[in-house]
Amino acid sequence: MALLFLLLRPVLLLSLFHFGPISQSQAASGSPAGEDFSEELLLRPLPDRKLLAHFHFQSRAPHTSSDGRHHHLFPKAISQLVQKFHVKEMELSFTQGRWNYDQWGGFDPISSSNAKPPGVELWAVFDVPHEQVDDSWKNLTHALSGLFCASINFLESSTTYSAPDWGYRPDSGSLRYGSLPREAVCTENLTPWLKLLPCRDKAGLSTLMHRPSIYKGYYHSQRLRLTSSEFEPEGVGSGIVLEQTLTVVVQPSSQRTVRSYSHETKLQPSWSLTSIFGRKVSSRCVLAKSSIVYLQLDGSLVAELDSLQKENKISSADNYVSEGVRSNACFEVSVKPDRVLKELKGVEKKSPSVLYEFSIDKYNESGPFDLGLTWKVPVAWSCQKAPLHVSRFLMGSGNERGAIAISLRSTELTDELLHTKTSEGTCKLEVKIFQVVPWYIKVYFHTLQVFVNEEPQAVSDVVEKMRVSPSVDKLSPGVMEMLLKFPCGMKSAAITLEFDKGFLHIDEYPPDANQGFDIPSAIISFPNFHTSMQFLKDDSSDKSAILSKFEENSAVLAYTEVLLVPLTTPDFSMPYNVITITCTVCALYFGSLLNVLRRRVGEEERLENKEKQPGWLRQLLFRLYAKITGRPLEAVGSTSTSSSSSSSKLGFIILVAGIAVFWQVYYG
Amino acid sequence: MRFKMCNLFNWVVIMAAFLVLGSINVYAFGSPSSSSAETTMHTNNWAVLVCTSRFWFNYRHMANTLSLYRTVKRLGIPDERIILMLADDMACNARNKYPAQVFNNENHRLNLYGDNVEVDYRGYEVTVENFLRVLTGRHETAVPRSKRLLSDEGSHILLYMTGHGGDEFLKFQDSEELQSHDLADAVKQMKEKRRFKELLIMVDTCQAATLFSQLQSPGVLAIGSSMKGENSYSHHLDSDVGVSVVDRFTFYTLAFFERLNMYDNASVSSLFNSYHPSLLMSTAYHRTDLYQRRLEEVPVTNFFGSVMETIHTDSAYKALSRKSYSRAEINSLFDQSANGDKRTLADSNGQDQFSDLKNEDQQGAFRHLWNTFNDKVGKIEDVDSFVRYGLLAMVPLLLLPTLLSW
Amino acid sequence: MEEQSTKRTKQKQGRFWTWVTASVLFRLILIYFPQNLNLSSRPEVSTPLTSLRRLAEGYWLKQSSMSPYAGSMYHGSPLLLSLLGPLTVKRIDEQPSHLLCSLVFVAADILNSLLIRATGQTLQIAYRQSLRSLDLDMISEMEILSPGDIAALIYLWNPFTIAACVGLSTSPIENLAIMLALYGACKRLVPLAAFGWVMATHLSLYPIILIIPIILLLGNGPDTPRKLFLLRRHGKVEENSSSDSCQQEKVIDQSKLLDVFSWRPVMLFLVWTVMWSVYVLLLCGVSVKQYGGLWEMFTSMYGFILTVQDLSPNIGVLWYFFAEVFDFFRNFFLIVFHMNILFMIFPLAIRLHHRPCFLAFVYITISSMLKSYPSVGDSALYFGLLGWFVYELSEMKFSFFLFCVYIGVSLLSPVMHNLWIWRGTGNANFYFATAMAYACLQIVLVVESVSAMLNHDRKLRKLSSAKLQDGKS
Repeated sequence: MALLFLLLRPVLLLSLFHFGPISQSQAASGSPAGEDFSEELLLRPLPDRKLLAHFHFQSRAPHTSSDGRHHHLFPKAISQLVQKFHVKEMELSFTQGRWNYDQWGGFDPISSSNAKPPGVELWAVFDVPHEQVDDSWKNLTHALSGLFCASINFLESSTTYSAPDWGYRPDSGSLRYGSLPREAVCTENLTPWLKLLPCRDKAGLSTLMHRPSIYKGYYHSQRLRLTSSEFEPEGVGSGIVLEQTLTVVVQPSSQRTVRSYSHETKLQPSWSLTSIFGRKVSSRCVLAKSSIVYLQLDGSLVAELDSLQKENKISSADNYVSEGVRSNACFEVSVKPDRVLKELKGVEKKSPSVLYEFSIDKYNESGPFDLGLTWKVPVAWSCQKAPLHVSRFLMGSGNERGAIAISLRSTELTDELLHTKTSEGTCKLEVKIFQVVPWYIKVYFHTLQVFVNEEPQAVSDVVEKMRVSPSVDKLSPGVMEMLLKFPCGMKSAAITLEFDKGFLHIDEYPPDANQGFDIPSAIISFPNFHTSMQFLKDDSSDKSAILSKFEENSAVLAYTEVLLVPLTTPDFSMPYNVITITCTVCALYFGSLLNVLRRRVGEEERLENKEKQPGWLRQLLFRLYAKITGRPLEAVGSTSTSSSSSSSKLGFIILVAGIAVFWQVYYG
Repeated sequence: MRFKMCNLFNWVVIMAAFLVLGSINVYAFGSPSSSSAETTMHTNNWAVLVCTSRFWFNYRHMANTLSLYRTVKRLGIPDERIILMLADDMACNARNKYPAQVFNNENHRLNLYGDNVEVDYRGYEVTVENFLRVLTGRHETAVPRSKRLLSDEGSHILLYMTGHGGDEFLKFQDSEELQSHDLADAVKQMKEKRRFKELLIMVDTCQAATLFSQLQSPGVLAIGSSMKGENSYSHHLDSDVGVSVVDRFTFYTLAFFERLNMYDNASVSSLFNSYHPSLLMSTAYHRTDLYQRRLEEVPVTNFFGSVMETIHTDSAYKALSRKSYSRAEINSLFDQSANGDKRTLADSNGQDQFSDLKNEDQQGAFRHLWNTFNDKVGKIEDVDSFVRYGLLAMVPLLLLPTLLSW
Repeated sequence: MEEQSTKRTKQKQGRFWTWVTASVLFRLILIYFPQNLNLSSRPEVSTPLTSLRRLAEGYWLKQSSMSPYAGSMYHGSPLLLSLLGPLTVKRIDEQPSHLLCSLVFVAADILNSLLIRATGQTLQIAYRQSLRSLDLDMISEMEILSPGDIAALIYLWNPFTIAACVGLSTSPIENLAIMLALYGACKRLVPLAAFGWVMATHLSLYPIILIIPIILLLGNGPDTPRKLFLLRRHGKVEENSSSDSCQQEKVIDQSKLLDVFSWRPVMLFLVWTVMWSVYVLLLCGVSVKQYGGLWEMFTSMYGFILTVQDLSPNIGVLWYFFAEVFDFFRNFFLIVFHMNILFMIFPLAIRLHHRPCFLAFVYITISSMLKSYPSVGDSALYFGLLGWFVYELSEMKFSFFLFCVYIGVSLLSPVMHNLWIWRGTGNANFYFATAMAYACLQIVLVVESVSAMLNHDRKLRKLSSAKLQDGKS
């Protein structure tokens, strides 16, 4: 990585000094031919007194066929990846914390595309023949692990990644998906990610990324999305598009004491960039085509504000949607917005959301850009939730077996959906589930049960489509893709699957084996709900990256919790005892049986001449007595023959084995 | 125990391989590698910094390693020549009160985990196997360059290890052990493969001195924090972080280096003499018998920094050869990774063919019979019922001859 | 006198049948509480090979047009799949699930006991004949209860058998196949023997070693201390044959093998074996054709048995051994443990060739002690067969010790398993210790029974030779 960066540095400096103006001019002309780069930041107050900050950097390189392999802005490392492994599409995300779908929204583009499972998630679509896909995947994981200082190369082993057919993304075939739930995410992952930016964190919006304040947040997800049309014919698609987003949810520290109101809804904390990140944006990245900051107000928040305005009878003169006003009855924005964008009414949306656009071209060292929001009156609103609230949990106790349950609860959205769609009779709610379980969780697929409103249902009339590839021991994980159809009136549904816990070889346990093992998040998507926000703009020629992202029609999806499964551990401390004792027992069997078989007849003759043997009980008692009092058997007066001596030998061996076993138990 | 076995096993193989390789070397280059090491001149500096212990209460070990990391970077070793192995993630640990920050002193003046740390091996990757692979350079073809120790016969390498150790071993991740034999073998092999000119091994564990007992390769300098039977203690506890943040030996090492900048030529002996047993609460042990030069002349930047002396023309030929050598290595790496793909692909095919083959000769016995059945079987639409009828047919088939032979 | 004996026999019959019906009722009662005592999940009862749950999974996979061996869930026979599979999904409402399967297993158990009984009776008759021909009147002591009945009752009332039957493991069916083979061989029903042997080998690999006792049975009838006839025929008596008795014995062996062993049924047996195996292979091939074919079946059935892949705990010792042993020794130890079974085959066959049924018993014990995934179902069988030789083995040593260990292990092993797996307070070694004790129990059982049987034969020879002396003098 570092070496690559060295290779990169001169290019960067050059481009800083020479190609900067050129790129600017390109940006001005908006010609799609050359490489371009844009940086944007979206800020959105969240209902639970938190703030969402969403950085979005996008850089685009044209076909290498059109202008060689020389890059001004585009990171060389990435283009090398694309060239070497024939990556058609790739997404890599490092996440810490869980996205709160109820409070932070489950029905907007950010939640559907930037809410990621904890740890590392990687999927890639390759443009190679089918039999080579796995090899390119393995090499890709190694390359990425070197590039991002993470142990992504653990995704190399065939037990960790899977090849979803239709459950994860429609376009399948050469798609590979893998995730590492326990991967630690920290500065060393962010640094190389920043080094892919032309200005790194030296100028532009990325200067805000003060590590401690970012990693202090409740949730941060650093994402790298790559789409290349390198291997399609010239002109189709737009070369390589690299999209780097960092989504952070932070708690603004409210300095001012919250004034208590008659009704207990507290005042939302006021914040500013300095209070959140401890820094200001002093200047834009000169290489960026556009560097814009958005402040988004949720649709429901806007509705709330509307109602407030109504009851406060405020003249619509200082309406918050009106252009370029800094302050209104409800809140005050510290910087005058350049533009205010209103969302076109969506299908299911009741009230449109509002975007304040701040272009930071005109700010500089002397007057740095520091956006702030100050609330005047307490506002309470709620984000738009996903059609179903999803959660997954484990059932059962003990380390032998258990069951995975995925529970779906309806939210208010499905109710209104019901109201809307009852007009036509066939109202079905489609849910797509994609779940990967590691091989040591041995799922019994025939125990699949579906409950709707707490009543068990026949699997066949709920499960529309199902694809299962059961796990092979130490070879491949179990993959389950299901398409469920629920009636809209459904209040709650649950799916349960039973499993047995496997037992691993002593070398297969990680150093902290007793911490348990992770089952990666399941992905629940709703194929017939789509998130797309249309913001009306005058000219669509230079549409900003975030807004064009918002307009994309992506299905609503949610990640479930990561499950932690404790597995039984063998005794790590003394494998030698096990080996030696087992071998002792085998030797005991072998030796004593051979001894019995090869016993000479002549000795038996002598045995016959001796007096008849006493019953086994008396003999046993004698032998025990002899053992206890260490006296030889003859003294007891029992038979002193080869057979009895051999059997006493046997008894002695058994005694030794027993002692060994008990020693093993109690000092184990 | 079993790790011992595994390493032993690996080393049997690797030593065998190395014997062959060594003989080839001798045959090819004629001169024994040690003498060539004398003549080759110092080209570059590498550092391998290893923190081998996991879990939050071993915060100090990570702090030690990161302090050394910062020091060698400050003294001029670039990031791509530092292999940093951290066995756990302390900076973003949930228990860390200061996210994304690591301190080695209770006055939180210096954040070791600044904006520019590059961890090459972390978490579960820090194993004895990976460590020995890094030293000996035996990687899979797919492993990226940033994770390899690409040193040449002119490199000076600093190897710093901290963790929990004992008599002749160092624990990795609380689950496996690096034996002193393994370390010695790895170093020997590095020598034979001309991967270093001079090597300084610095170990901060309990009974660190015992880890050097097996070393025998020339050009190796070793210093450990404590003699056999001694513990090496932590320096002080940070009540905000909640654990002790640095070990004594490392603390005083840093204290020595803080006074230096890149161009001071304080000698290694002055470093060695700067350790006071009273301060360390253990006696720092240094082994110098394998090292030829006098420690008074050797500046510490020889290992801890990267100070290049200019290459004179008389050794231009060597320099040239060395360049070509390294370039060759790079190329080989690239096409290795290329044909690495092919190889894996090939043997995956191979397995398929294997199974097919088995399939065939298993069926080969009654092949023709089988083929005659196959088309009939192909006609059967409901296999299950057919099999059930077959099972039913077993009963009369069984009863009839039984009754006959009654 | 006559009618007395017949009445006594009738009495015995009545008692026997009451016990059998009682055992059936007991099983049926237990079947109605599958949840309360979920034996089906006990590691002692259901191994990866015999658990019905895995079979149901395999059947589900097959129904959803996947190979039943996809994934590493099911490792049983495809025939069993198409036989029991439908029963696993059928539900009779208001009834416990898998009721039909349990009924099948109960039927298999009863059939087993009847076969054991019949075989035991033939053994007894043969034994009496031989004794009578030696005119040793030891008949008196076996008037109490015929060993066949004893064996059958032991089998039926053995808690292991009941657990295996109620615990939904397929081992009763495997035992049934084995018993069919032995019964057929005893009664010289060649096709039946061949069928049983082929099926047993197909279901669980290990009974393949039973071919030796079966051939011996077919060759020279059920167990008799045969060399005594030869003694008589040779008519020579050795008084103090401490020295020359050995080569004496050798001579006898050679001569006997010449004139007694009858080859015709053996040949027939081999022919029938070939026919049956072809038939079974054909059926398997048909049922797994559209999936992986026969090779996949073999790898996932017998490969799974031979390379101990599943390390989940059971009452054997191999699972923990292979969970702890270093990977590069694994193959070596695999070979060693499998060889351990084979090494003992020929010495035992040479020494016990005149008692094929006992030989079969010993083989079954050894294989169920050293097999990869042992379960209580296997031990249930050989504990039952032990009843055949109740009189021959009456002087077996350590019987009390064995009984105590049997009780102790069967009580302790569930406790240790619970402590380790469910409570989390125990250690794997605790459970492994009980497994080890169980292995020791079986070893002692094998060794002592063999030595007791050899002693018994020698005693008979002594007596007969003594009689001969009397006759002479």
